[in-house]
Amino acid sequence: MNIRASLTRRTFGRVITVTAGVAVSALALSALPATAATEPGVSATEIVLGMQLPQTGAASPGYNKVDDAMRAYFDYVNSKGGVYGRKIRLEVKDDNYKAGLTVSTASALINKEKIFAFIGSVGTQTHVSVIADINRRKIPDLFVNSGYTGFYTNPKKYPTTFGGLGTYVTEAKILGKYMKETFLTEKIGIIYQTDDFGRNTVAGLKSAGYTFEARKTAATFVAGTQAGGLDAQMTQLKDNGVEVVVVGAVASAFAAAVASANKIGYKPKKWVVISVGADATTFQTILLDKGIPLATSAFLLTGTITSSHAPAPGDATDEFVTAFKKINKDFNNGPETTWDNNVLQGMNIAYQMTSVLVGVGKNGVTRKNVISYMEKNAAKITSAAFSPLGYSATTHEAFTGFWVGAYDASTVLKPVGATRQMWTTDSGTGPVTELKWTRPAIGADSLPKGFSAK
Amino acid sequence: MKISLIRKSLVLLGASALIATGTIVAIPAASAAPTCAVASGVTTCLGKLTAGGDYVIKVPANFGGTVFFWNHGFRNSYTIPGVTAAPTTVQEITPANDTTLKDITAIMLKKGFGVASYDGVSKGLHGWNNTDRIEMLKELIDITGEQFTSMKKKVVYGSSQAGSFLPAFAEKYPSYADAVGIMAGLEPAKTTFASLCDTMFILSVFADPNIKGCSALGVSDARGGQTVAVGEIQKVGALLTTWSQNLGAPSIAYPASIAPYGIPQRSALLMMGLLTGIPTKSAHMDGITPSSKILEQSINSTVAVLENAAVSIVTGVLAGQAISQLTGPGFYDNTKTDYASLLTDAELGRYNLGLSGDDGINLMLATLAAAPRIKGDPEAMARFAALDKTNYSSTKPFVLMANEADRLVFPGNQALFVEKARAAYDARVEKYDAALAAAVTSAQKKAVRATKPVWNVVSLYAVTPDTYTKYTAAGLPDFTAAPAPSGVGHQTFTVPQMTEWVRLLANAATSGKVAPQSSTPYFAKHAAGLSDDPDYMPNELKFK
Repeated sequence: MNIRASLTRRTFGRVITVTAGVAVSALALSALPATAATEPGVSATEIVLGMQLPQTGAASPGYNKVDDAMRAYFDYVNSKGGVYGRKIRLEVKDDNYKAGLTVSTASALINKEKIFAFIGSVGTQTHVSVIADINRRKIPDLFVNSGYTGFYTNPKKYPTTFGGLGTYVTEAKILGKYMKETFLTEKIGIIYQTDDFGRNTVAGLKSAGYTFEARKTAATFVAGTQAGGLDAQMTQLKDNGVEVVVVGAVASAFAAAVASANKIGYKPKKWVVISVGADATTFQTILLDKGIPLATSAFLLTGTITSSHAPAPGDATDEFVTAFKKINKDFNNGPETTWDNNVLQGMNIAYQMTSVLVGVGKNGVTRKNVISYMEKNAAKITSAAFSPLGYSATTHEAFTGFWVGAYDASTVLKPVGATRQMWTTDSGTGPVTELKWTRPAIGADSLPKGFSAK
Repeated sequence: MKISLIRKSLVLLGASALIATGTIVAIPAASAAPTCAVASGVTTCLGKLTAGGDYVIKVPANFGGTVFFWNHGFRNSYTIPGVTAAPTTVQEITPANDTTLKDITAIMLKKGFGVASYDGVSKGLHGWNNTDRIEMLKELIDITGEQFTSMKKKVVYGSSQAGSFLPAFAEKYPSYADAVGIMAGLEPAKTTFASLCDTMFILSVFADPNIKGCSALGVSDARGGQTVAVGEIQKVGALLTTWSQNLGAPSIAYPASIAPYGIPQRSALLMMGLLTGIPTKSAHMDGITPSSKILEQSINSTVAVLENAAVSIVTGVLAGQAISQLTGPGFYDNTKTDYASLLTDAELGRYNLGLSGDDGINLMLATLAAAPRIKGDPEAMARFAALDKTNYSSTKPFVLMANEADRLVFPGNQALFVEKARAAYDARVEKYDAALAAAVTSAQKKAVRATKPVWNVVSLYAVTPDTYTKYTAAGLPDFTAAPAPSGVGHQTFTVPQMTEWVRLLANAATSGKVAPQSSTPYFAKHAAGLSDDPDYMPNELKFK
């Protein structure tokens, strides 16, 4: 429509009246945050965020602490007056790790809770059921707790989704480099779940130069069947002389694999596990449910190799760990608040989210702005990780760097060398190189730089 | 055809099914004036359309001037003993729940609406009479107008198959429709029937090579065609009956290339459902609640596919045969179908376990890719593609309502209608903008502005509760338990849902505009089970 052409002499007087009215309205609106009246989940006093995770059920151990940790950090932010005066409210729905419930709880978060954005949702198989719908609705889908590359490496497909972990491919490539340099003569095998997670692991290891032979050095299972034990898979690897077992699977499968190996008297020299599967709390909780005491499971975990983008939760010298531990102690009202990697991850996601909200500015809290900000300002989104965020217009992968560690007898992950060494790569075929990057210091009062309550 | 009758058909078909030897009714040469009588304040007129079908018109004493003209869905031409009786007269006067058989005639009359309906029989046959039914509907409206001269507004509405001709009716006879209602409506047939034929094909690959499916259809003689169709249904019925007993636990035994891998037959069943779009929720299966007998999350959805397929295949094959009488044999061709591309990321991720993991998925897709395909007849395919054409040019108000897990006409049909109507609307807006920009004088601009397009479609979905599956003490699905109260089945809406739909149609007929989609939460408050999500989107159809 050509507006200029419509300003005829006959209608001019009416146009002036209307224009004056619009100007008055604009003045009135300018006194309020621009977003308050229009953006779902955002008012002058509050920002509502939504999260889905298994709070209950077989997949919940460990993960069910992430939401309470996030809320604790947001409550801490709120105790400081909120971001530009807006308190952050986290609405959480338990999907029991059942995709059908992920669909219905997403709908409830969108339509009943009127959330501004999804944040920190847990699970690949569950999130894949809603990711297309969330993106269709143009709702930000931030810091997803899944390392599946398919969610992030093609932003044209999922423009609103951003990772909360490094990808499984990146991690497998870095672990693969470590293995190449460490296990010079040992026979390497793998057990992986035949889905996105497992596929990513195999792809990453292939990039590092490892291929496996089906039904010999490669044992597989369908995710969800591990509760019945993985005896056959472990027997297969044992019979084929595998000395180092890579695990591309969730923690319950790693626990099942270790339990089965223990049962059949199979003692690989090393377990190398993608970090999602190697969470100590989850591992020990699952084995405890199987009647294996904590002392035994700690022994079984000792020496297991995995990687991390963040400080070890037991690293008392780390300023983020120190700050988050205190906030966890003072603000976490969840049923299980023991400090561990899950709590650290939850805190860190909330810290990053706060950083984003600070970054978009008081009047910039729109869905569109948040997505644009994350693509263009990844370096400004501070976090506890020792790796920068990889967000850009061409990829929404989160952490591109990892350090490799081994669990000690007290289930603390320690660097494999004398000091922590960071490695970086991409989810494609790029090389693994040493990461030279200095993590920005934590902001004053444990808040992201630039934080203001006004 | 009453789907409620068909629901119990599988067992019967597994035993024996005979085609009744009924006689074709004589077609009256022309319609006669209706016979009217008044009882309890309602004037009821009965008569016969030119094509031979009965009609009914009911007008209450408090008639407000709006008459609703009901268009039923697919009806079979011949009785199948124990399964379905071919209708001989009007079966529904107003929308009726296909399971409970509750309609809303009394409610509509009480509100002062006139109601009318007809039996869509033509040349002694039901089936795919869409072209004729457009004329039958017009004739019924003409008769009603002559009989009830106070008629001011006309609502044309219907279910299922009616969805494939009501838009064309509104385009051809715009003055005969002040509002259009489509319930569980079918987009032009080709999308749904392509998937239905795929269903049979996939079953033939993985379970029973004797199934010919849609390649068997196309017998020009209606009665002979039905015999062939029932034969195909019997094969599928035997298969599904077996699966309903063993839940598809045995390994796939056929073809030889896949047999050694020990993939359970239920993975093939689930694969068939996902590739064809059969809903993964059903009357008794919520797609979520796990069984204590089979410890895998997809089993609920797999059984849902089984429960839905039992009905959709029976009705679909009979309807497919009716369509093939118009197209001739060979309307189905899958030589170019890339089955792997029909699986979405969400399906691959969510149902990975039920599909036996990546290895199982890859094996089944490779088997499908290697299976000999069905080559269609180009002329029949062209006739098939040309069926039930509409150009979405009607600017009349459309109120649509579908079930989230419709087992027969998948809800993606409704989404597809909205998508196509939106594209047509966008084109009209573009044309309007160009015309307005080209207008010079104020008179010209005023004339153009008077033609400003209006988005006149509202799309409602009935949804299920989160969970409702019950299992027996043995851990097996309890099909005797109460079904989901909403969102499942075909043309199985609750009385409040149907009443709300009618209310919206009446308002639209009066104002010429539908209530905005953003009012969906308000509608949902009136009728439990309607989604309150204005942006709700069901699974897309596999073909468009």
